[in-house]
Amino acid sequence: MAKKITLYAMLAAICLVCGYIESLLSLSFIAPGIKLGLSNSIALLLVAKGDFKGAFSVNITRILLSSLLFSTPFSLVFSLSGGIISLICVCLLYKTGKFSIIGISIAGGVIHNIVQLTVAYFLLGNAVLYYLPFLIISGGVSGAVIGFIARLVSSKTDKFLNI
Amino acid sequence: MKKGDIFIIAAVILAVVLSVIFGIGLLGEKGNTVIIKENNEVVYEGSITADKTITLSHNTVVIKKGEVYVRNADCKNQICVNHKPISKKGEVITCLPNKVLAEIR
Repeated sequence: MAKKITLYAMLAAICLVCGYIESLLSLSFIAPGIKLGLSNSIALLLVAKGDFKGAFSVNITRILLSSLLFSTPFSLVFSLSGGIISLICVCLLYKTGKFSIIGISIAGGVIHNIVQLTVAYFLLGNAVLYYLPFLIISGGVSGAVIGFIARLVSSKTDKFLNI
Repeated sequence: MKKGDIFIIAAVILAVVLSVIFGIGLLGEKGNTVIIKENNEVVYEGSITADKTITLSHNTVVIKKGEVYVRNADCKNQICVNHKPISKKGEVITCLPNKVLAEIR
């Protein structure tokens, strides 16, 4: 148990570093709020290893800590809603066994962005729907990148990362 | 890649096409009215041709020569300040941390 908690804590720390690295290379010139979402590759890695509980704990810890450290309580609503709902979908898709980790990640990225835009819709009104096509495309592309990273890390860490 | 992935990619492409078709009515056309909202309440509504500087509690929005942009914001990310000026129907500039939205209709 202690070993697991330590592992999750370390993974959550990696997530925070990923978030920091990402803030250095801003993609928001394409459309506001577009990000690669590197830290999601950690949650995806845990999903790929079949550890759904771990994926949720690491992701929620990461979201709470990063909004506490780097942003406002208001953006917490966005991150939490997108993060949790997309992770639920990712786990369900993984359980069907019909999709590869990259395909699952693409779906997760798109769902993440659609959920966040839905939250923005309720908070700001229908004008934000203008961004929908951009957000779907960027979610799909970054999802593919994240899925690729997760698959790579998963295969490289097979020997010593046993969950 | 597995077979099921094709469905995911097809669904994503379909979603993009639908959202573009749905949104196409909003794109392209020059707008007439500028609406500025703060905390989901309309704080300014006026013609896009009338040059004006609107000071909100955390942001300054400028309407000039038929274009709208945000000059100042006290938030950290400055996304709205870096956003290019808007002038077409349906375009928006949002400042999520301060719940500000500038929209053209």
